[in-house]
Amino acid sequence: MKMAISRWVRLHIWFRLLLLQASWNFERMQGIGFFYALFPGLKKLYSKEKLAEISLKYAGYFNTHVYFAPLVAGAVLKLEEDRASANTDLEVEIDDFKEMVAAPYAAIGDAFFWGGLRPLAAGVALFFAVKGVLWAPLIFILLYNIVPIWFRILFFARGYRQGLKSIEFIQRHKLPDWAIHTKEAAVVILGGLSALMVFSHLTEQQLPGWLGMLTLIPMVLLGLVARKGLSTLLLVFITVASIFLVGLFWADVVSLIAS
Amino acid sequence: MVLSLTLGALVSLICGLDRVAILQVMISRPIVAAPLVSLILGEPLVGLQIGVMVELLWLARLPVGAAVPPDDTQVAIASSVLAIILGRTLGTSGTELLLLCLFVAIPLGKFGQYFDRYARQYNVRLVRQVDTALQRGSFVAAEWLHLRGLVSFSLASLGTYIIILLGGLSIIPILWPFVQQPLSYSSGWMQLAFPLVGITVILGTINVSRAITLFCASFGMAFLLLWLV
Repeated sequence: MKMAISRWVRLHIWFRLLLLQASWNFERMQGIGFFYALFPGLKKLYSKEKLAEISLKYAGYFNTHVYFAPLVAGAVLKLEEDRASANTDLEVEIDDFKEMVAAPYAAIGDAFFWGGLRPLAAGVALFFAVKGVLWAPLIFILLYNIVPIWFRILFFARGYRQGLKSIEFIQRHKLPDWAIHTKEAAVVILGGLSALMVFSHLTEQQLPGWLGMLTLIPMVLLGLVARKGLSTLLLVFITVASIFLVGLFWADVVSLIAS
Repeated sequence: MVLSLTLGALVSLICGLDRVAILQVMISRPIVAAPLVSLILGEPLVGLQIGVMVELLWLARLPVGAAVPPDDTQVAIASSVLAIILGRTLGTSGTELLLLCLFVAIPLGKFGQYFDRYARQYNVRLVRQVDTALQRGSFVAAEWLHLRGLVSFSLASLGTYIIILLGGLSIIPILWPFVQQPLSYSSGWMQLAFPLVGITVILGTINVSRAITLFCASFGMAFLLLWLV
């Protein structure tokens, strides 16, 4: 007999995945959340006695990128459905599957979303914000969320449709390469943004434009220092304190010349 | 003032939950959270300026695995609320006050990192309770225990917001008469420095080969276009 999880239950699970990290903790990370999300599906497939045992398994350690969790959840649901309908063991244990995909998906997601897309979307939105456009936050939200929402919806459906084969889908689309391209695009956008901010400031201060090119020297130096692991807080403190002292010194010089 | 603080707390709570616990649609980013709270308080430009200064600062600190980045959400929200409330109380406006609010909020924001870590540590207790509930067959109780984790994250966000506000409201009015004039000599440059430092940290940590070359080429081309065309 074919055991199927209805469309409504799948929708319920999808919405629950938005709360995946509500009980994030250092021991099992997203584990309880993964059980919470899948529970409406699991209870359709198992008797009450078996459900407790299965639920305990799902509430164990689990951690992946939050936007990739729907893909894993979809595939796991499919495997659970297959196991329940065939009433036999699968070629791959569901626990092993979860463990096998969680870490690589987390690495891809971290690099693509946090490392690439977020700076890219922030860079574009800041162009508008620097110009005083009040819609800039909305531009950021829209620009950033297109891909994650698409991922969350499409990947959940694909995971459910393909089960184990969903891994091939990720491999075929070469997502790690996309992460590098997005990061490169973010660097280019941030270069343009820096130029705009420096140029606007120099114009406002009525200073000669060529001075702007000199900004690259401290920026590259600070970038190299940051690469060595110096904290942002310390870098901000050093930069701001230097500007403050130079400002005071310059004000004294100006008042001395005036007197 | 009480109304402004309460509205700020509401935004702090919702945006704070978006950071880790629910949704992750990035309303927690400073470029969204700061303008949002200041729009509600009637001065959207204050939040936009703070958003620009804070957004890129810790963007390079990724929430990877068990790593907890500094709480830039609460820094942005609380400094916007401080700037608006103190601007009205002290009868002033301008970049100098925004900068002073940020100088106080940024170090106090370190508490956010501790609170966030503590919330995640506290949630470990839920693990045992969930296990017991499931062994008993109390599935509904286990589901509610998961949602109880939201309380820890909410308290962490609100705690950070309150600490930054209390610190700011008690320190800034005392410091303001002494620093207003000295800050005015360099406030424009400092306002520029914040996002640029953030960009340099991203450049140093983005893990892209030839990131600095790409950046310099893009900067140079955009600057020349702006300057010469």
